[in-house]
Amino acid sequence: MAKKKPDPFFIGWAKKPPKSLQGFLFLISAILVGAAAGVAFGVGSSIPDPGDARFAWGAGYQTFTGYVDAKPYPLLRLPAGENGRDKPHAMLISGVGKRGMQQLAGPLDGQPVDAGGILLKRGDLDMLQVGGKVSLRAAENPVQNFTPAPAEHLGKWRLTGEICDGKCYNGAMRPGVGLAHKACANLCIIGGIPPVFVTSTPLMGSEFFVLADENGEPLTTEVEDWVALLISLEGEVERRDDLMIFKVNLDSAKQL
Amino acid sequence: MSVKYVPVIWNRTKFVYDAVVLATVGAYLGIYIYVAPMFQTVTRPIDWDIYKAQAFGTCVFFLLTFILCIGPLARLDKRFLPLLYNRRHLGVITCVLAYFHVDNILGWYNAFSPINRYVSVFIVNTSFDRFLGFPFEILGVFALLILTILAVTSHDFWLHFLKPTLWKTLHMGIYLAYALVVAHVALGALQSAAGPFMTTAVGASVALVATLHLLAARKEHLFDTQQNTMDDSGTWMDAGDPKDVPDKRARIISITDDERVAIFRNGKKLSAISNVCAHQNGPLGEGKIVYGCVTCPWHGYQYRLEDGKSPPPFTEKISTYRLKLENGRLWLNVEAQPPGTYVEPTVSPIMMEGS
Repeated sequence: MAKKKPDPFFIGWAKKPPKSLQGFLFLISAILVGAAAGVAFGVGSSIPDPGDARFAWGAGYQTFTGYVDAKPYPLLRLPAGENGRDKPHAMLISGVGKRGMQQLAGPLDGQPVDAGGILLKRGDLDMLQVGGKVSLRAAENPVQNFTPAPAEHLGKWRLTGEICDGKCYNGAMRPGVGLAHKACANLCIIGGIPPVFVTSTPLMGSEFFVLADENGEPLTTEVEDWVALLISLEGEVERRDDLMIFKVNLDSAKQL
Repeated sequence: MSVKYVPVIWNRTKFVYDAVVLATVGAYLGIYIYVAPMFQTVTRPIDWDIYKAQAFGTCVFFLLTFILCIGPLARLDKRFLPLLYNRRHLGVITCVLAYFHVDNILGWYNAFSPINRYVSVFIVNTSFDRFLGFPFEILGVFALLILTILAVTSHDFWLHFLKPTLWKTLHMGIYLAYALVVAHVALGALQSAAGPFMTTAVGASVALVATLHLLAARKEHLFDTQQNTMDDSGTWMDAGDPKDVPDKRARIISITDDERVAIFRNGKKLSAISNVCAHQNGPLGEGKIVYGCVTCPWHGYQYRLEDGKSPPPFTEKISTYRLKLENGRLWLNVEAQPPGTYVEPTVSPIMMEGS
């Protein structure tokens, strides 16, 4: 008599799965756990480099004395010698979190100020997150023999790159660029953080441009539609100390 | 099977099933969060909250992929049927992990702003007219909403309350949720936050789900388009040689594109019942006669062959069909009897039990 062919049948409420299925189910379980570990390792270990952007917590609370420009977005104009720089330096400032400094900087526009807070750094770029005891105030002891140089006009350009918020790009978040970060960038810009244009190729050594409208005023909310996309923009470039300002008409924006 | 509602009717299989699922999720999150960073080539690590969000988010995506593969795998190879048994727990775990993903995103990208973090999801990106730049977060919100509805209604209480057809239709929403999640990932993470491995894995996952469903659909289509001879009256269908029905098992006959009958043999007795389980529309014809009752291969619901009723105290019942033997061939009456109707089994004297 021929041996009866096994006919395994799984019933969930039975005490055990059929013997002939147990090996298969064990194998599937092992493959599942192994595949999960392998995929997790593959995905987690191959994430793109978010760059060298960070809060400089190690440097502690810092204070600077210089001048403040309120437009297009608040900037500190610092004399040569600050932080070992041999030339005057223009530095973006922001409030704590996703808040700009327009309210404090506006009344002090063009005046000598003291500013205190925590630095954010990305390579040679920096930004001061203003807060704490000093915050932003009229200078108690203005720097002698220093007046910020007027802006240098560098002509009309069409540049290619991505609009980011100046704070996350400088290290408030890693990664602080890209479409996955768009909502965060828009929240920053809505809160008054300066939108910046990070170009694909440098212009006169710079890949970082603070954006303004054609009149040097803050951009309208229309900018939020263009954040985090690869686009080209046309406008006038000007330089304040070592910081580039890109005065654009958003109607010139083209998605690439 | 149960005659009363309890949160979970635990049994050994469910414990083992959940243990394997938790081991899988634990392996994924553990390796992603604690091991993979040691092998990254980054200047500085990604923010902890964002990295955790990526870990939970990708875990949800791959779990959903796996969940959607189980159905067609079980259609193509019956050895995968045990994976179906406790799939609802897998779905609920996936939904919970999705909330961890959202919590990490809202607590970081959408935080530190004067705008409420929950409100911000809906108002900070309104580029609905763009493909790249589309507010992909909204897609994730809708997917989460669907997953939540499915998780909440996954209990048998809702199955009985909504009835199997509606419940099943509702839970087909998992496909819409998956499509939304794929779009959410493709328009978000894959545009900037993912490496080449992730892009490849997402593409392979979608291709796997689509391929398995196409293969299973092809198999079902071939079965449904088989032609069976009808008699002159148009009510009796030739169901073949009774010896072709294996003992304790069934032969499935397709009456129409959406109606199948399972003809079971228990020794010399042959009975025909609906192929659709009253619990979750499981394929009864792929079940087996255990303890004298047809047992559904999905969740083990049982029915008596002669009247299609579950044995007391259970109350489920399904349609029965009449059979007759003529000239050594089995004929099936295509008119379904009301669920629970007694039909005398047809006895085939030439067959032996166990043959």
